[in-house]
Amino acid sequence: MSGDSTTCVTLTINGEERTLRVGRSTTLLDALREASYFSVKYGCGVGDCGVCTVLLDGQPVHSCQIRAADAAGREVTTVEGLEPVVKGVAGAADVAYLHPLQRAFVEVGAIQCGYCTPAQILVAKALLERNPDPTEREIREALSGVLCRCTGYVKIVQAVRLAAARMRGAEEPSFAPVEATLAPGQSPANVLGEFYRARPLDAPLPPLVISPPDLEAMHVVGQPDVKVDGVKLAVGRPVFTDDIKLEGMLYGALLTSPHAHARIRRIDPSRARALPGVRAVLTHHDVPRIKYASGGQSYPQPPPFDQVGLDDKVRHVGDRVAVVAADTPELARRALRLIDVEYEVLPHVLDAEEALSPGAPVIHDEVDTEGIYDAQRTIVHRIGADAGVSAAAWARVDHVFEGEYRTAQQQHANIEPHVCITTWDEDGRLVVRTSTQVPFHIRRMLSPLIGLPVKRIRVVKPRIGGGFGNKQELILEDLCAHLTIATGRPVQMIYTRHQEFTSSRSRHPPVMRFKIGVTDEQEVVATELELIGDTGAYGTHGLTVQMVAGQKALTLYNAPYSKFACDVVYTNKPTPGAFRGYGAMQCFFGLETLMAEIADRMGWDVVAFKRKNWIKLGEELLIAQALGEGREGFEQVIASSGLDQCVEVGLEAMRWYQKRGQRSSDPDGEAKGHIRHGIGMAVMLHGSGIAGLDMGSATIKMNDDGSFNLLVGATDIGTGSDTILAQIAGEVLGVPVDDFIVTSSDTDFTPFDKGAYASSTTYISGGAVRKAALDVAEQIKEHAASMLGLPGADGLHLRDRQVIASDGTSLTLAQVALSSLHQHDQHQIIASASHMSYTSPPPFAAQFVEVAVDIETGQFTVERVLMAVDAGRIINPITASGQVEGGLQQVLGFAHCEEMVYDQSGRLVNPRLGPYHIYKCNEMPELEVIFVQTDEPTGPFGAKSIAEISMDGIAPAIADAIHDATGVWLREVPFTPERVWRALQAL
Amino acid sequence: MNGYQSSLAGPAEAVRPWTVDADTSLQAVLDQPECHPLVCDSLTAVASWQIRVETPVRRALTSPRVAPRWVAALLALGASVTVSGGSGSREVELALLLESRAAGRVLALHIPPGGVGRRWGQACVARTPADEPIVLACAVVEMDGQTVQQARAALTGVWPQPVRLARAPSQLVGGGLDEASIQAVASALMQEVEPRDDYLGSAEYRRAMAGVLAWRALEQCLGGEGGGR
Ligand code: FES
Ligand code: FES
Repeated sequence: MSGDSTTCVTLTINGEERTLRVGRSTTLLDALREASYFSVKYGCGVGDCGVCTVLLDGQPVHSCQIRAADAAGREVTTVEGLEPVVKGVAGAADVAYLHPLQRAFVEVGAIQCGYCTPAQILVAKALLERNPDPTEREIREALSGVLCRCTGYVKIVQAVRLAAARMRGAEEPSFAPVEATLAPGQSPANVLGEFYRARPLDAPLPPLVISPPDLEAMHVVGQPDVKVDGVKLAVGRPVFTDDIKLEGMLYGALLTSPHAHARIRRIDPSRARALPGVRAVLTHHDVPRIKYASGGQSYPQPPPFDQVGLDDKVRHVGDRVAVVAADTPELARRALRLIDVEYEVLPHVLDAEEALSPGAPVIHDEVDTEGIYDAQRTIVHRIGADAGVSAAAWARVDHVFEGEYRTAQQQHANIEPHVCITTWDEDGRLVVRTSTQVPFHIRRMLSPLIGLPVKRIRVVKPRIGGGFGNKQELILEDLCAHLTIATGRPVQMIYTRHQEFTSSRSRHPPVMRFKIGVTDEQEVVATELELIGDTGAYGTHGLTVQMVAGQKALTLYNAPYSKFACDVVYTNKPTPGAFRGYGAMQCFFGLETLMAEIADRMGWDVVAFKRKNWIKLGEELLIAQALGEGREGFEQVIASSGLDQCVEVGLEAMRWYQKRGQRSSDPDGEAKGHIRHGIGMAVMLHGSGIAGLDMGSATIKMNDDGSFNLLVGATDIGTGSDTILAQIAGEVLGVPVDDFIVTSSDTDFTPFDKGAYASSTTYISGGAVRKAALDVAEQIKEHAASMLGLPGADGLHLRDRQVIASDGTSLTLAQVALSSLHQHDQHQIIASASHMSYTSPPPFAAQFVEVAVDIETGQFTVERVLMAVDAGRIINPITASGQVEGGLQQVLGFAHCEEMVYDQSGRLVNPRLGPYHIYKCNEMPELEVIFVQTDEPTGPFGAKSIAEISMDGIAPAIADAIHDATGVWLREVPFTPERVWRALQAL
Repeated sequence: MNGYQSSLAGPAEAVRPWTVDADTSLQAVLDQPECHPLVCDSLTAVASWQIRVETPVRRALTSPRVAPRWVAALLALGASVTVSGGSGSREVELALLLESRAAGRVLALHIPPGGVGRRWGQACVARTPADEPIVLACAVVEMDGQTVQQARAALTGVWPQPVRLARAPSQLVGGGLDEASIQAVASALMQEVEPRDDYLGSAEYRRAMAGVLAWRALEQCLGGEGGGR
């Protein structure tokens, strides 16, 4: 509530008259959340994101833009007020209880993190009240004011269409994934059927799941189960970090640097401390100087440890200066303005190449940072690796091609900002409730910074409103903890959207120089990559992102000789960190664009050229051993690949050879007017966890009724991992997902897991769940055997919540549970297991795009995207396709428009979601997803990863398509209209 | 695609100005059947439903960054506003208000009636289809038979706020509308604008786009009577 004078406002909220005491400038958003309507979310506070949407007299408004006082006498609807079909409290699987919109959102998989869901549902409700039968376009237009960063909007639009049909009593459209099992010898291209599409249609097609003839059938794995957390997110229950109010809670706020590089000569917090209601002000004088690296990675973290909680030097605009805790957020902000800071402004450098030049400012001149390669030259790391014999390879080369490529600093734009609440519990332990992807790493990393042993820290991960790598980092937790330690009170800290841009993390913007040697026979025999990695002000993920970049880029074509040389440098920009795609997607832009250019210049068919060279089944990843992630890697061999089939199916679905090279004004026409159409493609691979490092674990415990607690350290950040892990366990135990109570990521109650990153959850955590489930299954069978008087468990199997003997006799799991807990050979059926792997099997994919380029303005529109992907066996086609669709939305922004731009002083000029611009619902192209299943022998039920690979090929595919349309090659991402126009001018 | 938007066929032209109270929300403007297609297009293209509901006409006119595309459409249509001043209310051209050459509290917006000879067009360039345009051009031409009676062009992205350019389009008045005259106006417009660099586009690019897009907007006016092509 505001610190200004208060007034009482009476309004009707969800049909109930409420009188709220509010400040004169209190927003409706703050008033509603203060009154515990937690479904109304904060995302930006300035009218850009729309997740604060409520209905005011039936019309959607941004509650952050309306003063609560102005809502007096009016009717406010939040998602809590949607009439359920059945009264009562809906359980996790009770979709039939829900309002038709909420039900449809759950059923079609429109909810990933769920942070935007209440707003989407409310807008849809308002739309359907005005127009019960809207077109897809009308739905998209209506929803365009609510940003979603997870879903690509595909399933959100489907949910609205489904709910609209139900509410009208019309025939319900089906969005269920389509399955196709190949006959022996049949090509996947032959099962496309309805996927043939000559022109854009109004509605996208559902995902297609293609199975090879010999893939074993499953009962729970592979099913399009609804997410285990779908219902609670759809009804807007208070499940996110900030959805609680603790008694006596204070509000923290962070003072950040206005300078790109400066020394703090003097800092005086006395005026801020004197403000009534301010409970603590901490500067670098108050916080111990303990060096750390903020990247949430396994022990030991990669160097350098170049940060401290609060420093006497700032290294980018938005760097930490001081923190405040006060009785209200407004007071905390006022206190920040009263802290007097005298800066000695230092020269700064924003460009990575300039940072390498002589005389560039030294950003880390402190004496207590170890592990910087050459601090005087701002080089954090120098990485070098090669595989094969250079001289022999280059001697075979007939043609050498080189290209330099750049990609921009992209912000994650997770719609839920970083938020953290710390408090002491009754045992004097610090409880950290935080929006993180890495709760166990946070606990370990936090311990030395705040001087508490690990055993006195509990980290709780509630539902997370999107992370994408940005929350694989210690961002607020230490500061919040310091404030709780200083005041003895609970403290909440949340980033503003501006701070998300300037003080969280972003994507590394590298400069890449590729050199590729080919023979006349179209063989790639040598690939070299020189990379300048820009890690901004701090090292954090600087080493590992660039190593992954080199490893993935040099593995795709696995040349007999490959070489990676990289300098990672400091600049005075906000620090990049982990971001879905993690270096690989930047390098695939360079690599795949150059490969396409080589084919074009040599007159080769680009697909055939790539196919001849991409890594194949049974081949060793040549650079993998020399180039791991933060350390040397391990020998690895490709044990499953569906890349050939992905490309085959994509070519057919896109009608590639009919469209390629037409440069037409319309798909079937001539080149006339100012529009040119083009089609492009790229291939890619990724990884499944970090080989030899990532470890996950799981515990499964049986309950009296034959249900199970599944306790996982794996961190569901909206990806659906809780659901697919339950499916893996359910497949082993013969029970549906509904029989699992899934608890994820509470460091007190769940076993260790490295967290949600590196595309590891399905493969690594899933492996642990499968092992634990196998152990529990054995225990169940043994107990059942003794109940049945059998000599042993051989011949028993689990199916349909029963243990079934070979003679057909059976026991229900509930009978086994009751017996084991209460009656006979009493013990708790429970097992824990851990899993790690020395291989990281790559998923493979092909991405295709069609674009229309305006050759006079340089603007282009992506009209269609198709991704055919081999992620091994698909555990859940709804969540998996959701991962692909959401990734495609993010990478479309990366390729097309998203770019953090700085002025000369180092200030970000577009630190708002509006000017920065992420793709909205009404501008998404058609997205089509085809899964080409394979059976990865090392994966749980043959699964590999799906989370990141969708990021990897869209930028080069668009570059290829723009070239196909216009003849220009673009080498810098994003492809803004002016960049395209300038390239066209230079033709 | 977004870079080339032609107007839809409009409703029957009104004979009186269409007057909208300044407290009316943009959504209410959009919902009215008299809403001119150019106005409708410009309201739905970028401004979300929420913004339209919570933004009254007054705020959209006095803070033209809220809905610049809409303001440009109004400028091209020759809209005027009633403002209250010390000596009562008066009607002034919207262009004057935006150029700070008229002051006062906006009470109402008036969109002049168009005859059967009114034609219009709009074209823009943006990073993506739903992004705020980098440059947008809006043109409205009032024809009497084959002769141009009035021509107005408004642009965004070439000044800090939407602007109506008077000089270049006035070349059309009294003459015919054809490819050559349109080209001449577009070229003149490029000289008339004073764009600045920003993160979306350099001044050079914006100037070039002003010409391209003005040409396209005017070229749409070559289409059939009563509306853009
Ligand atoms: S929080 Fe209101 S629009 Fe973002
Ligand atoms: S599901 Fe929409 S923001 Fe995550």
